[in-house]
Amino acid sequence: MKNSLLYTFLILIILTILSASLSHFQLAKTGVIVIVIFAIIKFLLVGFQFLELQLAHKFWKVLFVIYSCLMAAVFIILL
Amino acid sequence: MSVNKNIAYPPGGVLMWIIIYLELATFGMAMAALAFYGAADRINYHQDSLMLNKLLGTINTLFLLSGGFFAAYGVQTFKKNQFELSARYLLGSIFTGLGFLLLKIFEYQQKLASGLDMNYSPFFMNYWLLTGFHWIHVLVGVVILIFIRRTIVKNQQSASLEDIEAGVAFWHMCDLIWLLLFPLLYFLF
Repeated sequence: MKNSLLYTFLILIILTILSASLSHFQLAKTGVIVIVIFAIIKFLLVGFQFLELQLAHKFWKVLFVIYSCLMAAVFIILL
Repeated sequence: MSVNKNIAYPPGGVLMWIIIYLELATFGMAMAALAFYGAADRINYHQDSLMLNKLLGTINTLFLLSGGFFAAYGVQTFKKNQFELSARYLLGSIFTGLGFLLLKIFEYQQKLASGLDMNYSPFFMNYWLLTGFHWIHVLVGVVILIFIRRTIVKNQQSASLEDIEAGVAFWHMCDLIWLLLFPLLYFLF
């Protein structure tokens, strides 16, 4: 468990730095999609690993994933 | 919390998860509205977005992620009855939370000094409202962590795992909101 928390944290840091680096370029639609996907991966990692959602009932997991997909869709379609 | 796949017992308790989803829904609707109006006025929102300091935003994200990491470790060590270690990890979360709050105040001061207040533009009205409400949540999260840590330090045996998990869940909720808010405001327009 300790190792998985550490790996999760490292992935979160790497994705944050990648998003920040990517944003320095003129973003086309692909860049927007990549940044949104990175944000959603981070969102899911924090939820499932740090918040221990993987230990919860399926209902809470599904709700969380639906919310993530909904926000990703809103950002990608509108921006 | 031990593995309990009963629908009524998510980690942190069902009430905390109702709060988490309500908060996510509230911020989610506000962020969707921001994206909607930003899409309709792309040029102005893009210009305003460029006035935000991406470096400060990124450092703040790292503060919150580190705080979440320490808080998760705090719960793990508490479950193993390593109370002193748990208190130390929670202290790490408290410090990173304070780092976030102070850096955000610095960023707010910079914006105000440049005249970028709430009336400057619709983008900045959204920026102030969304980040302001989030700032208040982080402040509440830090206060909760301080109380939790105090309970662990002073009264190890009577500290309840459910209370610790609920407090830490509130902290992670602040992380979750920021993880969507940060790219939307700083990168996507």
